[in-house]
Amino acid sequence: MSVKSSSVLLTGATGAVGSELLRRLAARKETTVNALVRRGSTRQPDIAGILRDLEPVARVVVLEGELRDGPTLGLAEADLNALARETTHIVHCGGSTSFTLPLSEARALNVCGTRAILDFARRCDNLQCVALFSTVYVSGKRSGGFSEDDFGDAGMGFVNSYEQSKAEMEEIVRNAMHDLPVLLLRLSTVAGDSNTGMVRGFNAIHHAIRLVYNGLAPMIPGDPDECVDIVSSDFVADAALHLIDHGDTGVFHLASGAESSSSLADLIGATVDSLVRFRPAWRKRAIEKPLIVDLDTYDLFVRSVEEAGNEVMRDATRSISTFAYQLAHPKLFDTARTRAALDGSRIAPGRALEFYPRVVKYCLDSSWGTRPC
Amino acid sequence: MDRVTDYETGIDAIAEYLPERVATLGELDAAGLLGGSAAVLASFGFEGVHLAGEESNVDMAIAAAGKLFAENEIDRDEIGVVLYATALTSSSTMWNAGSASAMNGAPESVLELSEVSDLFRYPASRLQAELQLRNAAVIGVNQLGCASIFAALRLARAMIVAEDDLKSVLCVSADKFPPSHKRDLIYNVVSDGACAALVRRGAARNRIVECTHVTKGALWDSGSLENEILAAYFPTAKALIERTLDKAGLTIDDIALVIPHNVSLRSWQILGRLIGCPLERIFTENISRVGHTVASDNLLNLRRATESGRIKRGDHLLLFTFGYGLNWACMILEH
Ligand SMILES: NC(=O)c1ccc[n+]([C@@H]2O[C@H](COP(=O)([O-])OP(=O)(O)OC[C@H]3O[C@@H](n4cnc5c(N)ncnc54)[C@H](OP(=O)(O)O)[C@@H]3O)[C@@H](O)[C@H]2O)c1
Repeated sequence: MSVKSSSVLLTGATGAVGSELLRRLAARKETTVNALVRRGSTRQPDIAGILRDLEPVARVVVLEGELRDGPTLGLAEADLNALARETTHIVHCGGSTSFTLPLSEARALNVCGTRAILDFARRCDNLQCVALFSTVYVSGKRSGGFSEDDFGDAGMGFVNSYEQSKAEMEEIVRNAMHDLPVLLLRLSTVAGDSNTGMVRGFNAIHHAIRLVYNGLAPMIPGDPDECVDIVSSDFVADAALHLIDHGDTGVFHLASGAESSSSLADLIGATVDSLVRFRPAWRKRAIEKPLIVDLDTYDLFVRSVEEAGNEVMRDATRSISTFAYQLAHPKLFDTARTRAALDGSRIAPGRALEFYPRVVKYCLDSSWGTRPC
Repeated sequence: MDRVTDYETGIDAIAEYLPERVATLGELDAAGLLGGSAAVLASFGFEGVHLAGEESNVDMAIAAAGKLFAENEIDRDEIGVVLYATALTSSSTMWNAGSASAMNGAPESVLELSEVSDLFRYPASRLQAELQLRNAAVIGVNQLGCASIFAALRLARAMIVAEDDLKSVLCVSADKFPPSHKRDLIYNVVSDGACAALVRRGAARNRIVECTHVTKGALWDSGSLENEILAAYFPTAKALIERTLDKAGLTIDDIALVIPHNVSLRSWQILGRLIGCPLERIFTENISRVGHTVASDNLLNLRRATESGRIKRGDHLLLFTFGYGLNWACMILEH
């Protein structure tokens, strides 16, 4: 993208990852960013906020569209044609990251939306790169190593509809790799900014922190020693743009891998330590660390909570369960290709336990995004 | 502390009192005495509970202690202290004596105070007088919910170890649930009942090896903090049981039988898994038959387990309970 006169179609610019990319792209000279924003999105003002704070150098245009509208992307034909003529790069972050959508809805956005982006990419004569965001959890219920050459769940199934829809998305992306310059970026869980702890999109890990804080997380399934892969949002954005700039194609894991991951026990320990450190009064509540238990025990507990019908506990347990079952299938995400590509760039996933306490602090200070801080 | 001195302090005799009247979950439901679903409580392992009729909390305590003396050759004069343990605040008063059962009478308030002097009418003294325990000083042990009897047993041992001239302590526990109130408390069904135990220097059985107790005062408000209490239960229970085993130099594999409190079977299935103890080594038979007699469960179960022949001399037993307040208590005995 260092090539002059880049024109980037960015989807998902109001999201956790997309907004980080927008910040960086907006600071680039001789760049046009066409941000396709969901029509009716309440987060559109966020883009104005970003641009106001940054005083962008690039030309940023907001296009109201809709990923579910198929190949038109919800744009008028003339606008679509003009966009296809000028686009040199597509950075597709738009989609659903909800773990609880019915599969059909998750598919409509993540599979059909991506198909629409790929169809559009085929119309772009000057296209240099189409970067598509995915997740390392397309691996589903597999256990063990998962490399950048691996695809899908190997028949093991998925923990939630999100994972499945992303894996199905990858199937069509794989086909597109034959005729398009596809860069497929599989992210692990994005926790927040490594320097400030700032969280732009609260996800499962932040909800889990809140449940621990509220004393509503008695147990989670897993193995104390298994690796939990979390990455910072700045690493993800910097690494993604580096790979796009260098014209890389193929599959890359933007994950912390064995080197920078933390064990599940250490991450839970760091959560509790951070809560005590940043909210000393929290200690008074005498909340115990969640237990790490085997899957059968967890299942029995979940079943009991469901049968008992206590709504608060049930909601808390359901919210943990949407991702916690993933912990029962420990994996290590290999990052060899990414490390090689980033070699010499000084872009690396920081050690999870170093930046994670800042994320916990941000969650507390912002009351999980409900108050400014 | 000279460990040799307390080596033989143990629970020498146990007796219980359970009201004759038994109500099934269906009957409780029909009488409007269940807040939750009878089907769910059944799936959690409950069948029915004992309901006191005319007998008061004190009557039940006296009946249990009376049975203890009737069944065992005990010199009443050897008892230097009575520790009268109660879980419900109302159980340390005489107020609900003679109240009608909600199954056949109009609901009535347990804490109906007519005279200020009612506040000073203590069940423990009445029991001492009725049983003619003339050398026994009485002490009430309360404010620990279902863990109160554990505190009484722990204090009994400590007193015997500390006081040369104290040979025996009678520990009693009796609770009568307010008759017109819902009997299910955080997914457990409450039974009325009482128990009595003789803690004795030189006991022939049930040496008290270790007693532990943890209080989480932050969770004192059982009404408003039910969710937090539910969530705190398992992690704290596991930690306390493991700490107790550790202090005793034992592992869970050294425990021949866990003597539980009669809370839901489901919760024991989960806790059993958490502490690595198969359900077969947890004495759960009384959960369905008796229900949760507030503070008397463990002693009642210890007696039944002994009678059943499931434990033999020298076996290590682990007793565990949980009480509002919020308290978790654990004890290891050598049978
Ligand atoms: N964050 C993570 O931890 C993580 C981890 C692994 C992979 N990823 C992947 O990274 C990508 C970005 O994730 P994220 O965390 O930034 O997600 P996010 O915060 O949920 O943002 C999703 C973006 O998609 C937009 N969008 C949703 N529906 C749309 C529609 N119908 N038409 C157009 N735009 C639509 C959203 O716009 P509105 O909000 O304005 O509706 C938002 O900008 C996704 O592909 C995700 O799978 C993220």
